[in-house]
Amino acid sequence: MLELIKVNPSSGEPIYRQLHEQIVRLIVGGQLPVDQVLPSVRQLAEHLAVNPMTVSRAIQQLVEQGWLERRRGQPTRVANKQNAPTTSSLQLLAPQANDLISQAKQLGISLDELQVLINQQWNK
Amino acid sequence: MDSSSEAILEFNQVDKRFDDKAVLSQLSFSLSAGMVVGLLGQNGAGKSTLMRAALGILDIEAGEIITLGEPAAKLSTEAKAKIGYVPQQPFGYEGFTVASALELHSSFYPEWDKSLELDWLSRFGLEAKQQVQKLSVGQRQSLALIMAMAYRPQLLILDEPVASLDPIVRRQFMSDLFELALESGSAVLFSSHITSDLERVASHVALIKQGELVLFKEIDAMREEVTLVQLAENQPVPDGVRVLNRNQQQVLVDNADQVEIAGVLNKTTLNLEQLFMELHR
Repeated sequence: MLELIKVNPSSGEPIYRQLHEQIVRLIVGGQLPVDQVLPSVRQLAEHLAVNPMTVSRAIQQLVEQGWLERRRGQPTRVANKQNAPTTSSLQLLAPQANDLISQAKQLGISLDELQVLINQQWNK
Repeated sequence: MDSSSEAILEFNQVDKRFDDKAVLSQLSFSLSAGMVVGLLGQNGAGKSTLMRAALGILDIEAGEIITLGEPAAKLSTEAKAKIGYVPQQPFGYEGFTVASALELHSSFYPEWDKSLELDWLSRFGLEAKQQVQKLSVGQRQSLALIMAMAYRPQLLILDEPVASLDPIVRRQFMSDLFELALESGSAVLFSSHITSDLERVASHVALIKQGELVLFKEIDAMREEVTLVQLAENQPVPDGVRVLNRNQQQVLVDNADQVEIAGVLNKTTLNLEQLFMELHR
């Protein structure tokens, strides 16, 4: 799964959040099935060439939120969906939608106009 | 890492002047085990001075610097053997081969790890027989890094160590830094102009502008808390907002997430390079 994860250290978004978001996406999208074992913090950090503390922060958060589980002496795995928070694929797009909306507002575009644009682009 | 653990390096209200010019003023921050602190600032901002003062190479006018529990100006031999330092300028060992230079150098450090030395020699592509004065700038930097790190120093101070290393070697070197910081419980102070490297490697960032510490934060906190805010015409900046820099209605703000600001037209988060540029506009 290492090849599925990428971070961009030069984006304004904290690396731990980029990691968090990507792993959630992979779980929601089904690429990471329940019980799938995750690479260790060290492997992830080495692969991404980022500080292991950053990786460990993201993993910790995912465990706390029920996406991943860590049992004593075992590697971290994808948790059973029943324990996972009820995040839909749709909710994952909320930040991007917010960005789009705020840009539209800056340009003086109305909600109707924006919806027209989305419809047009969707059907392309 | 536990931030309450004892500091490995501590700056306390440090002032340094060269003749009449203040180079460091009222500078305070500290490094504890596991921290990799990226030091960022323009040329002449005081980065090298700060590092050299921490090593006791330079005296300070006021304040105190405690390095490995001792005053920096009077470091014991034992403390010095636990510090690694790579200066900006190339070092001596002209007339030596790589092997003989390392042999002499390692004799000063009881904790020297020969197998680590050999690993890194092959990783950096250095040959034992090569003459030090014939090495390229990048190779000299690699040798300097081996000399500063093969005894797993408790405190590692690197003054722009990676500028001449190629990206692949730089990445490997970064893994070594993490290993040192996290597994040996060392602290690393690291200056570089390559902000993308700092974003990867640093747990904390210290930003220095004209000898003053403008920001010192965890790198993730920096990205969350420091924002560039575009205010509406004639809109004042409310009290309690920490303004880092300002160009008309374009304000660089430190704690934007904690204070309600009225009349915000636009809010942008910044990467380290953008932050650096905005700070110096």
